Amino acid sequence: MRRDTIVGLVSLCFGAVYTIQAFQLPKAAIGNPWAPIYFPATLGVLTMLLGLAVLLVDRKRAAAGHRDKAGKAKDPGYWILTGGTILLSFAYGFLFEHIGFIPSTLLFLGGLLFLVNGKSAWKLNGIITVLFTLGLWVVFVKAFQINLP
Amino acid sequence: MDILQSLLYGFSVAATPMNLAYMAFGSVLGTVLGMLPGLGPSTGVALFLPLTYAMRPETALITMCAIYYGAMFGGSRSSILLNIPGDGAAVASCFDGYPMAQKGQAEAALAMSAIASFIGGLLSSVAFVALAVPMARFALRFGPPEYFTLMVFALAATAAISKEALLKGMISLLIGLMITTVGIDLQSGVQRFTFGLPELQSGIDFVVVIIGVYGIGEVFKNFETIKAKGAQAIQRKFGRIWISMEQWKRSWLPILRQTPVGFLIGILPGAGGTIAAMMAYNNEKQLSKHPEEFGKGAVEGLAAPEAANNACSIGAMIPMMTLGVPGSGTTAVMLGALLILGLQPGPLLFQHHPDVAWGVIASLFLANVVCAIINIPLAGALVRVLSVPPRILYPLVIVLALLGVYTINYSVMEFHILVLFGLVGYFMKSFKIPTAPLILAVVVGQSMEQSFRQSLMLSDGALSIFVRSPICITLLVLAALSVAWPFISDMIKRKEPPKPAHAPAAPEE
Repeated sequence: MRRDTIVGLVSLCFGAVYTIQAFQLPKAAIGNPWAPIYFPATLGVLTMLLGLAVLLVDRKRAAAGHRDKAGKAKDPGYWILTGGTILLSFAYGFLFEHIGFIPSTLLFLGGLLFLVNGKSAWKLNGIITVLFTLGLWVVFVKAFQINLP
Repeated sequence: MDILQSLLYGFSVAATPMNLAYMAFGSVLGTVLGMLPGLGPSTGVALFLPLTYAMRPETALITMCAIYYGAMFGGSRSSILLNIPGDGAAVASCFDGYPMAQKGQAEAALAMSAIASFIGGLLSSVAFVALAVPMARFALRFGPPEYFTLMVFALAATAAISKEALLKGMISLLIGLMITTVGIDLQSGVQRFTFGLPELQSGIDFVVVIIGVYGIGEVFKNFETIKAKGAQAIQRKFGRIWISMEQWKRSWLPILRQTPVGFLIGILPGAGGTIAAMMAYNNEKQLSKHPEEFGKGAVEGLAAPEAANNACSIGAMIPMMTLGVPGSGTTAVMLGALLILGLQPGPLLFQHHPDVAWGVIASLFLANVVCAIINIPLAGALVRVLSVPPRILYPLVIVLALLGVYTINYSVMEFHILVLFGLVGYFMKSFKIPTAPLILAVVVGQSMEQSFRQSLMLSDGALSIFVRSPICITLLVLAALSVAWPFISDMIKRKEPPKPAHAPAAPEE
């Protein structure tokens, strides 16, 4: 599917859902009851209209033979890095308040470096993990007096 | 005289040992971040934002300005040595900077880019001083309708930066405004789009959105091609980093000519350093007696865009400081920082917090000198950062980003929101949707809605309040013009007679 077709469809659907949600918002108890609804409802309707406009312009371009420009070639399996980072971030969020900043960051950063920089560089990954984690602790906790768990 | 006294007071604020130390730190950090492809000034300032909570407001802003400024200096280092621009504004520096390095003139190219940046920045700082107070006085006439229309203009101009991305820019803008509607409505107390989650009652912090879209989104995007981005082989040994008299003779006039161009472009909302640098490059190419040398290592082809992009970064701070409306992604982050620190940028900033307003203005002069010192004698040492492989750099950026957002509310819920906005940023970049309008909208969205509703309360619900004052009408006309301009300029170009075949083509952005 063409890039702008997806953008148009997503905008149209998202705008529609947002508009419906906007009209279901509770009304204000004081003053104009519709006051908290006007602004979001306007945004939702405009998003739908713009989504539709993107679709129409894209159809016109497709009919004229325009094609999407090919982007840079992506590495095979690049999505493993993105997906792995997201999973590790959620795990970090879970561990952060349970086991504290230093142990959780050692695990998280170590995991990220192994994922992105590879297992073969384990020595370098380990050194960077320890130094960076302790460095951050010194900067945040000691220098800027920011409390970390 | 008043202005001079205020400026001297500003110097007394900015030149304290603590502020000078933070300025030097910010300049080095900005230079390094500016050099690294993919991490521009917006990401740098956004990642630094959480650390400012523990600082005095003037120190925080002085440091952020130094990062912004340092990034403008540093962006050209990788353009010259690797032919990869550190940020968008340094694209034009590749055209002649890299050929100069290939011809064995890397030292002269590094020195010229720093000298041009220094002169462009210095002259623009003088212009800033001259314009800031009159503009702030003028802004005192603004009421809610004027502020609403001003924000409409700033957002429209940012979204409508190109004809191709106009519709998608507008969608980005609307999504940004939608994000600001999450949380308890300040005027009615109604909860909007919180889905029963208490963490969303205070809304989505714009810092999380900014760091997510700029920082994490950029890292996710770079993951697509990270295997190809190994450690770069760069020149490590340099001779004396300076220019010859002949190179100076060729460059001083282009620097002086293109500085005002960059400064004026900076004041306009939306038009950023990339446009300023490209325009300066094309102007000089057209004015040059030897346009055929451009693209082959012409020193003025490097000097002109460097002066213009630094002038642009100073110009961009004028609407942020005097009107309280940011004109670019980076100044939006800085405006957000001021709000977090409890200050309201705008005309009253000069009256209520002259230490912050004038301290920051004076710091522009000082940071300019600091950046020149860092970027000329220390250039050889600093460019070694370019050999850090992205495979190591990006995991560190992710940890910094997560830790930064945690300090906003001390809640790990921010981690999840950050990753979500990282994905939003990634998809926006993948689908060529501009991110700057979203960032601007997230920062000004809440006050825009409040101004809109206050205006309607003043007029008993009549929308005609937005066309009653000449300021409102002018701003609305400017907003409409900025949306229509890409189409108008396209029509003008089509009417122009075709250029002869031997005419040099302008480099594409």
